[in-house]
Formats: sequence, C-alpha cells, structure tokens
Amino acid sequence: MKAFALIIVILCAGLLIYGTSDFPPWSDPESPASTHVSPYYIEHTIEDTSVPNIVTSVLADYRGFDTMFETIVIFTAGIACFFLLRVTKREDHESRLYHHLVTGVTLRIKEGGKLPDESEEFRRVDTEWVPYSLIIKITCRLIVPFIMLFALYVIAHGHHSPGGGFQGGVIIGAAMILFAISNDLRAAILRLSEKMATFFCSAGVFIYAGTGLLCLLLGLNFLDYGALAKILFTDPVTARSHGILAVEIGVGIAVMGVVVSIYYNLSSAGKHDEGL
Amino acid sequence: MDIVVTIILIGGLFFFAGGAIGIIRLPEFYCRLHAAGQLDTMGVLWTMAALALYVLDDFSLGAILTSLKIILIVFFLFITSPTATHAIVDAGVRAGLRPWRKRGAEE
Repeated sequence: MKAFALIIVILCAGLLIYGTSDFPPWSDPESPASTHVSPYYIEHTIEDTSVPNIVTSVLADYRGFDTMFETIVIFTAGIACFFLLRVTKREDHESRLYHHLVTGVTLRIKEGGKLPDESEEFRRVDTEWVPYSLIIKITCRLIVPFIMLFALYVIAHGHHSPGGGFQGGVIIGAAMILFAISNDLRAAILRLSEKMATFFCSAGVFIYAGTGLLCLLLGLNFLDYGALAKILFTDPVTARSHGILAVEIGVGIAVMGVVVSIYYNLSSAGKHDEGL
Repeated sequence: MDIVVTIILIGGLFFFAGGAIGIIRLPEFYCRLHAAGQLDTMGVLWTMAALALYVLDDFSLGAILTSLKIILIVFFLFITSPTATHAIVDAGVRAGLRPWRKRGAEE
C-alpha cells in the first residue's frame, strides 16, 4: 500500500514537473501575465489615481470589488467563529476565586454562592491563575502604543510604501492580543468589549461598501472614486487617492475587529469569562 | 566607508554564527535560550549598525531619516528580544523543566 502511494506521488510530481516546461521563461515580457493589463497598470497608475504604490491602486481601485469581497470573507470568518464557539448560556458550574486585597486572603466561592462585586476590596482571579511576570507586563505596556502607532502609519501610508488596510488592521489586532496575553482576558475585554469588537467588524465593511455606494449616489459606478471629487472639492484623480484611503481605513477597522473577536472566542472557549 | 561597513557586518555575522552554533551544541533548553537570546541581540546590533552606516553615504535628510529608522529597529529589538527570552524561560520554569547538570554532579 505504501509503495502504491509512493508511485502515485512520484507520478503526480512528474506530471507537475513536466507541466512546468510549458511555462513562459522567467521575466518574459511576452508571457500572458505581463501582456494584457499589467502594462496598463504600470503605465497609467499615476495619472489615473495619483497613487505611487501600484499594488495599492490595483488592490483598492482597479480591483476594488475583489478587495471588498475579501473584506467580507474576513468578516464572515469572524462571524463564523462567533457562532461556532460563543457560549451564550451561562454555566456557573465552576467555582470562582476572589482575592481580598485588604487581608490578602484568596476566597473560593462555590457554585451558587453569592459573588462579591468587583471593587477596591475584591479582585477576581482566574481559576488557573498564574502570576504574570512583571517584566513581561511592563514591557508589553511600553510596546503596545508604539505598535498601534506603527499600524496607523501602515494604514495611512499604504499609498506610498508597502502597507495598507489588511496589514495595519492585523497589526492593531496583534497589539490588542499582546495586551490580552500580557495581562489577562478580562483586562482586555474591559478596554475593548466584545460588542465593540463585533461592531468594528461590521463597521469596516460598512465603510467600504458605503464609500462605493456614495460613488453610486454621486452619479458614477459603484466604487468609482472619481465621483467623490464633488464632495471633496478636488479633481477626480486626487479624489481617487482619497477614496482609496477611505476604503483602506474601512478594511483596517474590519480586520482589527475580526482578529480581536476571534482571539476572544478562541482563548476563552467562547465563554469570555476567564482565559489566557 | 565600505571597508568599515564590511568589518562591522562580519562582526555581526560572527555573533549570529555563535548563536546558531550555541543552539545546536549546547546541552539543553536554558543554555540554548541563553545563546539564542544574547548572541542574536548582539548580532542584530552590529548588522543594523552596519546598515545604518551604509545608508548614510551622503548626509542628506532622507539618508539620515532612513538610518534613524534602522536605529529605532535596534532600539525596539533591544527591548523586546530579552523580554521574549525571559517569557520563554519563565514558561520553561513553570512547566517544571529542571536545569541541566553534569552527570555525577550532586543534585
């Protein structure tokens, strides 16, 4: 059986390698990939959109529909994670630990017991609590703002340098996750609640589609940013550049929300109660 | 200038090579992390310093800004890299991994 599998693998590999002989040579100007639309993009990007970064203009302008549905795919992934993992029914089977700060006593309150409010005196402690190292906590607190600032730079500077909405959104989400890991899940949820994260997911997609719809209302095609010139008081070419920026911001917000909400669901097994 | 850059680059590669050899040759987890954490950080400092010098061939504003960015990379790496090593060591201690001892040495 093993030999049979090996024969199949070798046959497939041979077929694939034989197939590569039909490929055009490396960097062949006559190859199909670089004959039809690529030269147009390379030659006309600046005069069409005034965006120096060709990748961004292709992504958000020439192929805006593609990117919009990519954003929706990410949104769908976040929603699917929510539906698969989120436990809405409260299960208070587990006992909870509370730390009484005044006396330094840790209390275990069993199922059905009266839970004290989160206050200056009582602080909730995770059941499988590990005392986090102070060094990690402080370093993450030091680093997180810079990561977020860099993410904003990546989003806003996507026109001129490598970057854009997807990358910047993921960086902001990673900063949130770093904060959640270095402190605990409840501290992160206190700052960016689940509701807010889910809201960001849909708000990003809404900004993207809303920009397209605005173009439609102003008399041009869907996602034809030239129409925005009427409300931005600029020429159509600059308006395209601004339209790309608006769309990138939408993508960034959506990706950030999705990344954070997936992390919340995964790390706490859908309970959003205790977790990493 | 190019000669200086090359010398510093070779110095950085020396540290990187030391780190790689340490990861392979040292006996266990903590020693290997020691090699990886320390030597990689030092290697990054040297190679990045070489790059910052290399970019700075003319003292225009753009060149200075670029080399400033490279120095910023080194700065953040110096904060984060030891912390990452610390976190991994911490995890190892919590998982109950004992430090390595020479065979025959008293416990």
